[in-house]
Amino acid sequence: MQLNYTPEQDAFRTEIRQWLADNVPEKPLLTLEGEEGYHQHVEWERKLASGNWGMVTWPEQFGGRGLDLIQWLIFEEEYWAAGAPLRVNQNGIFLLGPTVMEYGTEEQKSRFLTPMAKGEKIWAQAWSEPGAGSDMAAITTKAVRDGDEYVITGQKTWSSRASFADWGFGLFRTEEGSKRHRGLSFILFDLNSPGITRRPIRQLHGEPGFAELFFDEVRVPAENMLAGEGEGWNVAMATAGFERGLMLRSPGRFQAAAKRLVDLYRTHEANASPSAREAVSKAWMDTQAYAYNTYSVAAKILAGGKIGAEASLNKIFWSELDRAMHRTAMQILGAAAELTKFTDGSINQWLEGYIFSLSGPIYAGSNEIQRNITAERLLGLPRQGAG
Amino acid sequence: MEFLLTDDQATLTEGVREFLTGTHGPEVLRRLDEEGNRDPAIWQSLVEMGLPGLLVPEENGGLGMALLDAALIAAECGRACLAEPLVDTAFVAVPWLMAKGETGELAAIAAGEKTVPLAHNINGWTADGNGEALESVDPLRNLSPLTPDATDDELLLNLGALMSSAQLVGLASAMLDQAVEYAKMRNQFGQPIGSFQAVKHHLASATVALEFAKPVVWRAAQAMDDGQENAAIHVSHAKLAAGDAALQMAETAIQVHGAMGYTYEVDLHFWMKRSWAHIGAWGSRAFHTKRVDDAVIGGAMNIGPQHTFG
Repeated sequence: MQLNYTPEQDAFRTEIRQWLADNVPEKPLLTLEGEEGYHQHVEWERKLASGNWGMVTWPEQFGGRGLDLIQWLIFEEEYWAAGAPLRVNQNGIFLLGPTVMEYGTEEQKSRFLTPMAKGEKIWAQAWSEPGAGSDMAAITTKAVRDGDEYVITGQKTWSSRASFADWGFGLFRTEEGSKRHRGLSFILFDLNSPGITRRPIRQLHGEPGFAELFFDEVRVPAENMLAGEGEGWNVAMATAGFERGLMLRSPGRFQAAAKRLVDLYRTHEANASPSAREAVSKAWMDTQAYAYNTYSVAAKILAGGKIGAEASLNKIFWSELDRAMHRTAMQILGAAAELTKFTDGSINQWLEGYIFSLSGPIYAGSNEIQRNITAERLLGLPRQGAG
Repeated sequence: MEFLLTDDQATLTEGVREFLTGTHGPEVLRRLDEEGNRDPAIWQSLVEMGLPGLLVPEENGGLGMALLDAALIAAECGRACLAEPLVDTAFVAVPWLMAKGETGELAAIAAGEKTVPLAHNINGWTADGNGEALESVDPLRNLSPLTPDATDDELLLNLGALMSSAQLVGLASAMLDQAVEYAKMRNQFGQPIGSFQAVKHHLASATVALEFAKPVVWRAAQAMDDGQENAAIHVSHAKLAAGDAALQMAETAIQVHGAMGYTYEVDLHFWMKRSWAHIGAWGSRAFHTKRVDDAVIGGAMNIGPQHTFG
C-alpha cells in the first residue's frame, strides 16, 4: 500500500488546479434542473472541453486524455475542491460513455463519444416506465424492427435531464411476447425525433429535472442499438454498475460538502449541541472512508479486476452518507433551513443539497434493491420464495 | 498512490486464516471455556508459524514486517476469536518496545518464550497479567487490576487501538458468516429465514458498515507505518468505524439467530463478547470521537477533497 502520490501525479494535480482556478465561474450557476441553469451548465461543459478536461480517462481520439483512474480521482478531487459546477452531462460521460466504450462498435464510438466529451450532445436516461421502476424487467415500451430502423412505441418516465437534453438511451422490448430480462435491447435515440413528446415533470424543488417521454411510432436507425438485439439487459447492468460503483459519485464531491459542513458548524458552534458536533465529524469520517474505498476499487480495476455486486454496497453507502450530511446541516441551520435564499440573498445550497440527497437512495436502483442484491449475490442468501 | 493490499499480504493472511480455521474452531473455544482459557499447545502452534516475531527485526530473530501486515493478521485472530495474547504481545508491545529502543527482550518474544502484559491507564485493567482476577463478560479474557507501572503513553494507546480495530473487523466478519449460515439453514413459514427481505436488509446494512470500516483500518495502519503526522486521528477513525461496524454486526447476528442467539449454546456469543471487550478497550467511543472532533473541527487536520491522504 502506497499512500503517496508520484511526482507525475502531483504535477497533474497542479495543472488541473491551475486551470480550474482560472476558469471556474466565480458566481455559482443556477440549478441545472431548470432551463436557464441547464444552458449555463452546458456552456460550462463546453468550457471544460475547450481545455480538454471533458473526460480525462477517455482515449485522446475521443476527446479524452488517456489518463488512468487514479488521475481521474485527482481530477475529481481538484474539481470539487474548486467548487466547479455539477456535470450536466453525467448521464453521458459517466454512464453511457463507459458502456459505449465496452459494447459499442468503432463506428458508434466515434459517432457518440467525441460529441459527448466535447459537451456538444447532452444525454438523458430513459430506463423507468410507469409500471417499471425498481422492477426494471417489467419494461413494455417496444421497438419493432422495420428494415433499417426500429419503430418505438410506448412511454418512459422520470427520465433525468430529458426536459432539455439532446439524446437519450434506454431499454426497449424488441422481441414480441418476450418476458422479463429477455428480449430487451439497448437503444440510443435523438430526443428531437418525430413522434417523441416530452412532458417535463417538476421535481421536489419545483424544477423540471426529469420528464415523461411518449413514443408514438418513433423511427430510430438500427445502427443506434448497442450490442446485439436481446442483449440489452446485460448492457444495462454494466451501465448500472458504473453508476452505482465508481464513476457517478466521486468522493471529492462528498468530501467538499463535509468540509463546508465543518465550516457551517464553526459559525454556529456557540449554539450547537454535542450531537451536532459528532454528526459533523462523522460526515468527515464517512466521506474519507468512501474515498479510501474508491481508491481501493480503482487500484483493483487497474490491476485487472472488475466491479461486481459490491457496487451495491457503494451505492448504499454514498447515498445514505450524503443524506445524513445534509440532514445535519439542516438541523444546524434551524429556522434558516427553510429559506430558499438566506437573508443576505445567497442561495441556501444546504436546502438544495438536502432535497437532492433524498433522491440518492431511490435512483440507480433503490437502496432496497441494492440490499437485496447485497444479500443474494454477495452473502449468498436465497431468493424470496425459494425454499 | 496504490491503495491495495499486495499479493504477499493476501498470501500471508490466507495462510493464517486457513491454519486458524482448521485448528481453532468453536469447539476449541468451548473447550478453553471449560478448561482454563489458555492452552500452551495453541501458543506453540502460533510460535511455529513465526507470528510472535512478525514485527521483530530480523537481527533479533523475527520477520521484520510492517504494522499493516500485523493488522491483517490481527483481523484473522479476531475472525478466529483467538484467546492467546498474541496480538497484545507481538503487534502492540513489540512496536512499542522498539520505538522506546528497548530491544533486549525482542528475541525472547520472537521465540515465543515471553509475553508482555500491557498496563495502560486508559483500560483500568491488564490483560494476561498477574494478580487477582477481574471477571470479564468474555469468558476467555484473563483480566487483572492495573499494575503500579501503568502508563499513559500515547503510542501504546494508538497501537492498542489500531490492533483492537483490526480484530473487530475480523470478529465482525466471522459473526456475519455465522448469521448468514444460520439464515440459510433455519426454516420458518416453510422457507429459509434468509429469503425474507427483513432479514436480508439487516444483514446487508451490517455488511455495508463492515466493508467501509476495513479500508479505514488498513489506512490507519499504513499511516502509522509511514509515521504520518495525523496517524493518531486515523487510528481513532479506525476504532470508531470498526467498533460501530462490529457492534451493529453483533446485534444483527443475534437478532438473525432469534432465541437461539440468546443462548450460551450457540457459538456466536464468544465473538459478540470479544467485540464488546475490544469496543471498550484502548479508548472508549467517546474518547476516540473527541479526538476526531477536536482535530477535524478544531482545524488541526487539513480536510476536504485535496486531503484524502494528508
